[in-house]
Amino acid sequence: MLLKVDGLSKRFGGLVAVSAISLQIEAGEIVGILGPNGSGKTTLLNLLAGLLAPSSGTILWQGRDISGTKPELIAALGIVKTFQNPQLFAELSVLEHVMIAGHLALKRLLGFARSKTIFAPKPARHELEARAERVLRLCRLSQGVDRPAAALSYGEEKMLGVAMAMMCEPKLLLLDEPASGLGQAEIVNLGSVLRDLREHGTTLCIIDHKVAFLAEFAPRLIALQNGSKIADASAQEVLGNESVITAYLGRQHAGA
Amino acid sequence: MTQVILGQVLNGIIVGTLYGIIALGVTLTFGITGIVNFALGQFMMIGAYAAWHLTDVVHLPYPLSVALAVLIAGLAGFLSDRALFQFTRNNLVNGLLVSIGLISVIESGALLLYTATPKNMDFVLSGSWTLGAITISRMKVVTFAVLLAVIALTWLALANTWLGRATRAYAQNPEAAMLMGVKTEMLQVGVSVYSCALAGIGGALYAGIYSLEPSMGALFILKGVEAAILAGVGNLAGALVGGIILGITESIGALFLPTAFRDAYGLVFLVAILLFRPSGLFGGQK
Amino acid sequence: MSAAWLLVPLYLVPLVSHNEVLLTILIFTYILGILAIGFNIVFGYAGQLTMFHGAAFGIGGYATFLILSKLGISFWLAMLPMFAVILLLSMLVGWVCFKFRLREFYFAVVTLAFAELIRLVVLNWNDVTNGTLGLLVLDKPTIWWPGRGLVKIDGTVPWYLLTLTVLCAVTVVSQLIVRSWIGRNFAAIRLNEELAQTLGINTFRYKMLAFTISNVFAALAGALFGFYSNYIEPAQLSITQSLDAIAMVLLGGMGSILGPVVGAFLLTGLPHVIEFSAELRAATYGAILILVILLMPRGVVGLFSRWRHVA
Repeated sequence: MLLKVDGLSKRFGGLVAVSAISLQIEAGEIVGILGPNGSGKTTLLNLLAGLLAPSSGTILWQGRDISGTKPELIAALGIVKTFQNPQLFAELSVLEHVMIAGHLALKRLLGFARSKTIFAPKPARHELEARAERVLRLCRLSQGVDRPAAALSYGEEKMLGVAMAMMCEPKLLLLDEPASGLGQAEIVNLGSVLRDLREHGTTLCIIDHKVAFLAEFAPRLIALQNGSKIADASAQEVLGNESVITAYLGRQHAGA
Repeated sequence: MTQVILGQVLNGIIVGTLYGIIALGVTLTFGITGIVNFALGQFMMIGAYAAWHLTDVVHLPYPLSVALAVLIAGLAGFLSDRALFQFTRNNLVNGLLVSIGLISVIESGALLLYTATPKNMDFVLSGSWTLGAITISRMKVVTFAVLLAVIALTWLALANTWLGRATRAYAQNPEAAMLMGVKTEMLQVGVSVYSCALAGIGGALYAGIYSLEPSMGALFILKGVEAAILAGVGNLAGALVGGIILGITESIGALFLPTAFRDAYGLVFLVAILLFRPSGLFGGQK
Repeated sequence: MSAAWLLVPLYLVPLVSHNEVLLTILIFTYILGILAIGFNIVFGYAGQLTMFHGAAFGIGGYATFLILSKLGISFWLAMLPMFAVILLLSMLVGWVCFKFRLREFYFAVVTLAFAELIRLVVLNWNDVTNGTLGLLVLDKPTIWWPGRGLVKIDGTVPWYLLTLTVLCAVTVVSQLIVRSWIGRNFAAIRLNEELAQTLGINTFRYKMLAFTISNVFAALAGALFGFYSNYIEPAQLSITQSLDAIAMVLLGGMGSILGPVVGAFLLTGLPHVIEFSAELRAATYGAILILVILLMPRGVVGLFSRWRHVA
């Protein structure tokens, strides 16, 4: 078992964003998370990625307790998260973004020996650039890699976020609404990226509003409402679940 | 011995009130314009020298000099806001660096006009009050009372007037305040000027007690910033308390430990506090 | 292209000119340039505004001289324990600042607090540092010259060559660092620290590294400064020293390795071009700082080029 979450809660003052959530994810799974706005989806992902510390509960990664660990260590352990609103390094180029994201890969490749690359940057750079090229090709960002990232369209910015996450060679990739704001063609592209990740055996956890998109990729869905888990089963079951429909689509659709 | 300590504590409180009024200016400026104006110490100096000049050279009655000095400091604040700080809103680094540049300019101006020779005001309010074995000069007590009153009035105004509430609203959530019709640019200019005026009154009163040197600005802004951080930048009531705590720490420290390191005691105390409570003693929201 | 190559033609200056004033200005430019390059690494590249480099500069001078006198060893050997002191101090101060996640402004103030503390200690430790009077430094660094054995660095031209060589070395080292993965991580931290963390970059470690590098360069500059001007005083540890370095970096431009050196040259040469009383000089520094921030955020070098080495 890859990830085990037990009674995870997060309080912000009086507001309970996540309330006693427990779940398990096996290696190679693709899990979708859905729920209305404010149901705690992003908070849950932030907790898993170490950007927030839990108020209570535990997170076990490959048997090891990682609750409260710093984000950079969690990334090194193999959990990487993308952002709903694309986070970029202003003024740097597309290529520079993925090169920076290659930090963990470089570390794994060379370990301490990477200090030598200060004097001879070329070989390590080649290795990194080869990986970057592959990732960028997959994400359809190979054109104009020297462009400043700020010049990208919204969809391209989101794909850059995915590209950077891929450079980290994650075991578990947490995607926060990767399809929101994307046009039809871009969603198709995103789909092929997800399929490639699936083939590589990367475990995926995807938040999204586009239920159809989610259901296409995620055989298993988790539904949240008001910070609590209200369903956790196969896509068909969850989408047929009355409370999910009520929560997500509103009372009018219940029983439809 | 207790008398000595008590005397030092009282002194610390009075100096601390001066730190506090600068700290209040620092906190207000940070909350509304998003920068720390390191030159506030210079506006205190402007107030001090203006008060001195008007009293000793132009021979106006001291209270009038103080009032005019505050106006002058406020005017100087207005000019520097229009010329410089309006371009550094919410840019902490730029604001810091510009204010540091301004320090050099103003301090040099003071050196040229008044030279480095300390200036002393002829006694404005002589005499002192005695309480047991403790003697406090009348002027110090008056200073304390006036500054306390100014700070209290500021705090009340922020709590009860429309302008005050608008200011607090803006500090909490700039966008919401804008949407509610608060004229943010005017608010920012106003707060900028008010902070300088606060520093000015601190300086004008300071002139009645201590001797003036152009380097006083640098010293007080450091203390003001320390006091503001100690209390938690963003906490307005805390600014005064922070200043007083700082003043007392320094006085007591100087009593038991080498006087030469007086300034250091406050610093050490500050760093220690920050380690345990990174948001300051009263944990400002900002 | 290595920026250090740009410095090579400067070796020819003493052959062409015997103007003492010009050579002296350049010597100070090179020394302060080392200080400024160090600050540029921690602030221009890694984005951390620190006020500690002034103290490191002063410690470089004091520690090197005191170690040299007490232990009777050469200038270069004395620098080794001095660097050890700087490393320890950087780790202590850096740990306090970065571990507790002090945000930018608090961080600047805490480094300033530590720097002031150190200055006060130096100012008052009369037995060792001679307090406000400072220390007279008559010793000279020595280097081994083929054919002549150990030669003392004494006189304008030898100092010129020495400081230029050290500057070249510092430039090369800085460039290697900035162009490596370390430089990329610095830029990442400066531009979006949270994103950098989610990508696995240990921001604490890299901030510590940048901070330490800045202080090491500052101390190196301070040692050269003290021994060249034959005088070490507490003012070399002051906030003003830190601010001067900041002004040089801003004026010259933060986007390149040598920008700070250009800034150092302009600010060092300025008082010689225009005759100033001390007060006017301070006022002019202030005015320049203001003008640069408001009108030339990319500094002088930024006006002419589009270079920005970040990855």
